[in-house]
Amino acid sequence: MRTNLYLDRNTFVHRLHPTVKVFALFAMFWSVYWVDYPPALVPLGIFMLCVAQLTGAWPNFYLFRWLFMLTVFTTTLTWMISFRGGAPIVSIPFFHVSRASIEYGLGRGMKLAELIAASVLFLSTTKVEELTIGLRRLGVPYRACFAISLAFRLVPLFVDSALTIVDAQTLRGYDFSKGGFFERIKRYVPVMVPVFMGALRKANNMAMALEARAFGRTSEPTTYIDYPVLGSDVVAFATLLAVGTLYFLIYYTGRGAISLK
Amino acid sequence: MKTEAQIEIAAANPLSREAVGVEGLTFTYHGGERPALFDVSFSQAHGEMIGVMGASGAGKSTLAKCLNRIIPEFEDGDFRGVVRIGGAPLADLRIHDVAPMVGMVFQDFEAQLFSTNVAHEVAFAMEQVGMGRDEMNARIAPALDAVGLHGFEHRDPTSLSGGEKQRLAIASVLALRPSVIVLDEPTTDLDPEGKAEVFELIQKLRAQGLSLVVIEHESVELRASDRVIILREGAIIAEGTPAKVMTGLDLLEECGVHPPDLNRVFQMLGIGGHATSIDHAYLEIVTRFPALLSVRAENLVPASARHDSTVSVADAAPSCQSSLPPPGRSLSHPLVAIENLSFAYPNGPRVLEGVNLAIGEGDFLAIVGQNGSGKTTLAKHIVGLLKPASGRVLLGGRDRAGMRAAQTAREAAYVFQNPDHQIFAPSVEEEVSFGPRNFGLAKDDIERRCDEVLRSVGLENQRQSDPFLLSKGERQRLAVASVLTLRPRLLILDEPTTGFDYREIRTMMALISELNRSGIAIVMITHTPWLVAEYARRVVLMRRGRKLFDGAVREFFADTELLRTSSFRPPEATELGQRFGTLALTPAELVAWIKERA
Repeated sequence: MRTNLYLDRNTFVHRLHPTVKVFALFAMFWSVYWVDYPPALVPLGIFMLCVAQLTGAWPNFYLFRWLFMLTVFTTTLTWMISFRGGAPIVSIPFFHVSRASIEYGLGRGMKLAELIAASVLFLSTTKVEELTIGLRRLGVPYRACFAISLAFRLVPLFVDSALTIVDAQTLRGYDFSKGGFFERIKRYVPVMVPVFMGALRKANNMAMALEARAFGRTSEPTTYIDYPVLGSDVVAFATLLAVGTLYFLIYYTGRGAISLK
Repeated sequence: MKTEAQIEIAAANPLSREAVGVEGLTFTYHGGERPALFDVSFSQAHGEMIGVMGASGAGKSTLAKCLNRIIPEFEDGDFRGVVRIGGAPLADLRIHDVAPMVGMVFQDFEAQLFSTNVAHEVAFAMEQVGMGRDEMNARIAPALDAVGLHGFEHRDPTSLSGGEKQRLAIASVLALRPSVIVLDEPTTDLDPEGKAEVFELIQKLRAQGLSLVVIEHESVELRASDRVIILREGAIIAEGTPAKVMTGLDLLEECGVHPPDLNRVFQMLGIGGHATSIDHAYLEIVTRFPALLSVRAENLVPASARHDSTVSVADAAPSCQSSLPPPGRSLSHPLVAIENLSFAYPNGPRVLEGVNLAIGEGDFLAIVGQNGSGKTTLAKHIVGLLKPASGRVLLGGRDRAGMRAAQTAREAAYVFQNPDHQIFAPSVEEEVSFGPRNFGLAKDDIERRCDEVLRSVGLENQRQSDPFLLSKGERQRLAVASVLTLRPRLLILDEPTTGFDYREIRTMMALISELNRSGIAIVMITHTPWLVAEYARRVVLMRRGRKLFDGAVREFFADTELLRTSSFRPPEATELGQRFGTLALTPAELVAWIKERA
């Protein structure tokens, strides 16, 4: 199975300096954070769609299609009916729909979708080694950088292991879908124990293998790939800075908020 | 420019003649009742290859970890004795300081690859020691050349085969140019092709002067070592050349090591001594029994016919057929019928293509083939873990499509390769009763079934034991027991002996055979030729999602061309038999045939 989302392409975005890519992820999260008003989020969404097209990241978006649909749909719907502001269009007990609640629900759904999209784009265009380098340049200690990048590699392995364990218990007649919400969570104990034990074993093996490959010999390891800062990096950085600033200004001027009138 | 695949080795300390020196090494794990290693001493000369063998838990991996300071730096315990590399004691050094001197390759190849492309992976250790970029670039190509991965620089390591991954792990330690490489069961998880790749590489490295310590269960693979060490309960109980150590067949078996087939044949024929190869064994036997030469001429299959016809060899089978298991029963009403099955994972290529297969009541079927050939995918369709893209699977005459996976548990059970994927309960008894409880069986019935099953797998005295404290062999038997309580008519075992020593394999296979004799049909996915030869009655060979062969074990091993193109090497007794123009599946069969004609 694939253990990371990186898609090996030779695009402008792939070639960017790792620090710029980490900054890009930060800039996207920053911009999304400041605004709630759906039309204000649209340009950012279009920008990400363009990057997805440019980088050929659609296979990863397809991979996460259910996550997108489920989270965005449930978030939008939940906020639409639970947001209490604005003049009601429909108002019955426990159910309040207004123009503001529709906008708020849509905004929340879009924000979530854009946060996921930014993460998918980042992982599709950034190798784990680049993540390490990008974070190091931002002053994060090497061991912490490496641990973060290793975690990205381990998650799919654990998911794969968990799926095998679910299969194993299903074949012994175990029904994971039985009972209510809490009962179902409880029913996952037979999965969690082997996953946890397997994760400990795998982490132990990895730690030994890392030490045996001289990990930790120096606090400042060298890097095999040279990442010179190019003109394109400066342009990308300036653009992202401008986008981040623009979105902060949208917030600051009150144009990113939902009107309750 | 160096010649192809020539690698640089750290210059040996001119003052020392030894690559590795171990003196009075004793180690007890924290909380351990007895030492895992006890008073181990040996010395390895530069360029020497030492093979280390022994049963599971004999201390082999512990010894390997002591050679690069994983013990005592990483694993806590009481460490005594001295380990020297190139004459210098390792005491007080950290693991990462030893890494440039001693390269270590582990069994779990997935856990030792950290990067997103092959070149990065090789560079990883060099980055850690702070090497300059130019030097790294100068070392990557020779390291990849040495392991035969030239041209793979930009490949994602996760896309490589098991053998390639393990070769990449070796390249990544070679790049630091250590003087010693320790390989801890490097081929346990590999298919025969991957195994052959890695051992070919080991021989190449040895020829280039690297000092190697290789830990392995299969003695055949270590026949080319300079020296062999046998460990039992943490202590060295035999040490010497392969010719000296590998002729003590009883001792090897006692120590959980599979004795070489050829030496077993020698012993049974009263020849004695050590066979270094099939050619050597053949010459030795015909010298002792010249009458075989005329028999050989009669049975000889012409070279031109050998590739097309396997009948001649199969027909010349030994006369001891009566000792063989009976052939599979009638398939007029098969337990499992697979019709034109095709399957592909989402966004992936076809994994199965038009497979037809029938499994009868009481059958014993081995499914073989390289990693990725579709063996496990096929087996998962039988129990309903996967749904066919086209075709259908009938279980007991009913279409699987209309049944949920859990509903098939009483018809067909599946034991996963890793028992730890199944085990979760705090006691053996609870683990075994989990299945019947899910089906709401009565308490008395559950208890009766648990008693019966625990007795059959030899765990009746461990009812209250914590499953995670059992040995791997016991955990695998527990995994089998936990599905047997549902009394399935078919038991599917996915590589049930991976990582086991010889004794554990024999115990496991005796259990499986006994279950088969009691009427349970067995489907066993395996990479081990001698298990197929000795235990199965029928073989299905998969290649690239297609069923390439389905027939009796004898027919399979008689088809030398099929075996060759499938990278499936028969047991050595079978290969030696073929030199005489006969087909023998075990050393005993071959010896019986020889004695009859000599």
